[in-house]
Amino acid sequence: MNRWLLFCVTALAVVAALVFPSRAGAVDRNFAGSAQLDYHFVPERTARDGTPQMFEGFTLESAMKLSVDVSDHFSANVKVCFGCHGFETDMAYVDYRVADELSIRAGRLSPSFGAFNLRHDPANHRLSDKPLVYDMGRMMRMRDWNQGVLPSPFPDNGVEVSGTHWFGQKLQLDYAAHAVSGFKGDSTSTDLDFVQSRTGSLYYVDNNARPSFGGRLALTARFSQFTDATLGASAMGGTFDPNNDLTYLIVGGDLSFRFNKVNLRFEYLLRRQEFDTSQPSRFKYDVPANGNYFLKHGGYGELEIPATRTLDLIGRVDFMYRSGNLPVASALQARSGVFRYTLGTAYTIERGLRAKFSTELWSFSDEGVTGRHNAVSAHVALVGAF
Amino acid sequence: MRRMILPMTLAAAISLGLLGCPSSKNLVANGEAVDTSQLSPELQSDYLVFSQRCSKCHALSRALNSGDRDDVFWQRYVTRMRRQPASGIAPEDEPPILRFLHHYSESLRAERGGQK
Repeated sequence: MNRWLLFCVTALAVVAALVFPSRAGAVDRNFAGSAQLDYHFVPERTARDGTPQMFEGFTLESAMKLSVDVSDHFSANVKVCFGCHGFETDMAYVDYRVADELSIRAGRLSPSFGAFNLRHDPANHRLSDKPLVYDMGRMMRMRDWNQGVLPSPFPDNGVEVSGTHWFGQKLQLDYAAHAVSGFKGDSTSTDLDFVQSRTGSLYYVDNNARPSFGGRLALTARFSQFTDATLGASAMGGTFDPNNDLTYLIVGGDLSFRFNKVNLRFEYLLRRQEFDTSQPSRFKYDVPANGNYFLKHGGYGELEIPATRTLDLIGRVDFMYRSGNLPVASALQARSGVFRYTLGTAYTIERGLRAKFSTELWSFSDEGVTGRHNAVSAHVALVGAF
Repeated sequence: MRRMILPMTLAAAISLGLLGCPSSKNLVANGEAVDTSQLSPELQSDYLVFSQRCSKCHALSRALNSGDRDDVFWQRYVTRMRRQPASGIAPEDEPPILRFLHHYSESLRAERGGQK
């Protein structure tokens, strides 16, 4: 059914773009895109067999997006991205806006969650990589950690209802509620399977026919022409296994300030993740009666300062904790944590073209393969947007 | 740690090299932003609204590199952006943003030899 939904939405978008009369009929098309080539230098191998535990060396993230405004109320977006996982349809949806306060989006979409996801395109954030809680492949020891709390982006098939309302010129209230297929895993999975959730080789269909639900509420206050703050809360949850027995729940809170062009952001995410304990021997620790879940949570604080018209300075501190049982072979402990400290710059070579440099200091609660708790890495990237 | 020296040196050299490069000489381009000295006082005020509101979620180049579009395009584009969650773009911000984008498109057209 979801394949049909995606097919219909994509077909509708293409038909809308091609069939409707062009300029005379006021159909507007906008083609945009971005590409980031990043070199991630990691001096220390972190896996016991010597293979890398993160995506190091060159990685490419690129995307192309077509937006079509068919009328003042009806628009369609299709975005295809290419990253470490190959090609992925990041967006393929139609929007119907009844009013500012009511908009309906259907197709393949990233449901509204948190503050970062709106800026997940590498052209829209100043550092090479994402905050740890949203990491998708660049964190050190990522296989031990199974990436972040909610790897971003998280496109899925479904529908979202949203709206925005201004109370005067000082307060903006946003809401969004969604129903999507949800993340996937096997009946015996000990965590969400992000590859299975995304890969087309297992078909872009729900594995349990039961949608996951979620939503977001955010309030933006404008203190002056150049100062505002946004406070948001988000949640999503559902079952991820074929039998609809195992649940996940992700909640988040975010607070961001803008002083002229200076951005200060804070965000916190928590995931409660159930797993199957019918075979206790698969686990590293004893499985108590209510020990069928783990918690993974973390957050970041980020400061972005434009030092000159062409140079931005960025500082970020992020952390992530995990508590709960683990597969026998896991390198993590019942309680594990990681801190990362990042300093970076973004230099605008020309409008739309940036160079990014950053250095990261990692501090793990667990020893690595060399017996160390700390590690360093560095990024050099070039990103262009059109 | 020695393995860090080469890439760090390389990164520093690239940084210094780039810092020494002049910015683009394209029309009103100055880094990511616009050279406001070429704008009238009224348009400078409109530009301030545009540059503040339209750089919250993405770089200004997203809009400025869209090319010389007509008013209907910009109207829909800005309205769509205004409706984004936590955009911070109030309905009252639309007129100054659209005035600036209208002027910007006209400038591009003029530079490319079109009518003005």
